[in-house]
Amino acid sequence: MRRLLLLSVLVYLLLILGLASGNGGIIALSIPLVIYLTATLLYAPESLQLQVIRTLSADRVSQGTLVDVRVSITNLGSHLEEVLLEDVVPNALEMIEGIPRALTEMTPGQTILLEYTVRGVRGRHVFEEVKVRASDRLGLFHREASYHAPTQLTVLPHVTWLRRVEIRPLQTRGYAGPVPARIGGSGVDFFGVREYQVGDPMRWINWRLSARHPHTFFANEFEQERIADVGLILDARLRSEVMINGQSLFEHAVHATASLANTFLNDGNRVGLLVYGRFLDWIFPGYGKIQRERILQGLAQAEPGDSMIFDNLDYIPTRFFPVRSQVVLVSPLWEEDLPILIRLKARGYQLLVISPDPVTFEAKTLGSDPTASLAIRITRLERTLLIRKAQHVGIQIVNWQVDKPFDHAIHASLGRRPHWYRAVGLGIRG
Amino acid sequence: MTRKLWYVSLGCATSALLAGYALGESWIWALPILGFSALWLLGQRRGLKWVPSLGLLLFIGLAAIGLWLTLAPGLMLLGMIATLAAWDLENFLRRVEGAERVDHRNDLERRHLRRLLMVEGSGTLLAVAALSVDVNFGFGSALLLGLLAIVGLSRTIGFLRRESD
Repeated sequence: MRRLLLLSVLVYLLLILGLASGNGGIIALSIPLVIYLTATLLYAPESLQLQVIRTLSADRVSQGTLVDVRVSITNLGSHLEEVLLEDVVPNALEMIEGIPRALTEMTPGQTILLEYTVRGVRGRHVFEEVKVRASDRLGLFHREASYHAPTQLTVLPHVTWLRRVEIRPLQTRGYAGPVPARIGGSGVDFFGVREYQVGDPMRWINWRLSARHPHTFFANEFEQERIADVGLILDARLRSEVMINGQSLFEHAVHATASLANTFLNDGNRVGLLVYGRFLDWIFPGYGKIQRERILQGLAQAEPGDSMIFDNLDYIPTRFFPVRSQVVLVSPLWEEDLPILIRLKARGYQLLVISPDPVTFEAKTLGSDPTASLAIRITRLERTLLIRKAQHVGIQIVNWQVDKPFDHAIHASLGRRPHWYRAVGLGIRG
Repeated sequence: MTRKLWYVSLGCATSALLAGYALGESWIWALPILGFSALWLLGQRRGLKWVPSLGLLLFIGLAAIGLWLTLAPGLMLLGMIATLAAWDLENFLRRVEGAERVDHRNDLERRHLRRLLMVEGSGTLLAVAALSVDVNFGFGSALLLGLLAIVGLSRTIGFLRRESD
């Protein structure tokens, strides 16, 4: 447009100067410029009629996976002498290979392909539009259009496959599973002794006790193992986000939540998710692979956010989780959260807190300055005290230093000990 | 190819104007011509977007002044035509080099050059014809024709501006 304006101004100036000075030569100088403008008028592109189709090699991928994008643009209109096609790529996607724009000429019916490869961070990325800018060969006259071809790419959080995570909710569901149910019956772990009943296997008879009571037989009881209700709460409050050198503590929390959800669902449990941040975003409890997909999709969209109402954990909707079920909170944990956790515990929920350690995470960047070292020491002491207070009231806490793999941290604290280890009474943790 | 042609166009524009002013013994204008040419060259190297437009304005201004000083009209016209080519080619190169991917670049360049040659050729022919024909108008007729030209051009340019995005 500026070039068009410049040429117009020049033509006017030459005409006016030529007329004012009575010099035909100056007027003649404007002729090539007028011809240039006329050529633009003659060859200007007509209205744009394009068909845009965008396809992705996958619409849901895990972090780090490469996705091939293919945009097919077909000219349904007239000949376009010079056209710049550009696919607008979402900012959070990293271009790995290929170019999402091309300058070309398009004859009627011709199809141009834009092919490129991207890699994305966790989240939902929407490819919105393809921008088209057509012009004549001299590039003076432009027609622009945006073609909406919405395509969505979901990058799921990274999931670590964990071995069984031991939980002990006060109440379980009716179906067989891996969670000790605190009810006698058939199982693996010794639970108690009761009078022998018809139908009990002979190998259950406790011969030592029966020998002491000549007229009665006693049989061993084992702890039933069933599936449980597990409620996952991801703390997405802005205060729980710590960003250091482009690394986010919240991303570690999301990773932990995804890995736990995956493990609990694989064990057959009923799992729900609540993202507690700018607002409450929940996924109702469910089973199986579909629920796993729902939770991963939910976590893909989780973002830390600020809200005056949800600034503390007071508004956790407890009705979302069945009474006496297992609740797993993934949060760096703050001093003011403790009373709310104690209240949850008092209501009968079995609480497990996975706490990505913000102190160690941030301390790495503070160097060895004596003041900083002292500050780190004080903060670490405060955190240790907070964790001890929580453990004292019966809340299980995994203090995860995020530079170590999550599966190591979780198994060091919650892994199911071998039978012999539990048999000698070493497998019980607070 | 296009890059070389751009150098040739700029060189041609500078030489034509320099020669025109030298033949008219107006040596004082040589310095601004060479200065503007150097500025354009430098602007192209540095990728300054405003330099070609300024160059076009200044070189055409110099050609107009040359005609007003009754210097060789053929050389002034040649300078002006070469300047227009240099301005066009630099803008074309910017579009091509800024696109990262250009499909059939050689074809695109060849077709662009053909269109430019056609436009500049017909422009030169008409301008030469206008310079060689001697028609005398009275003041009133000249004014009327001038006004008609301005109105016609305004309409054309207005149409182009409205339609162009």
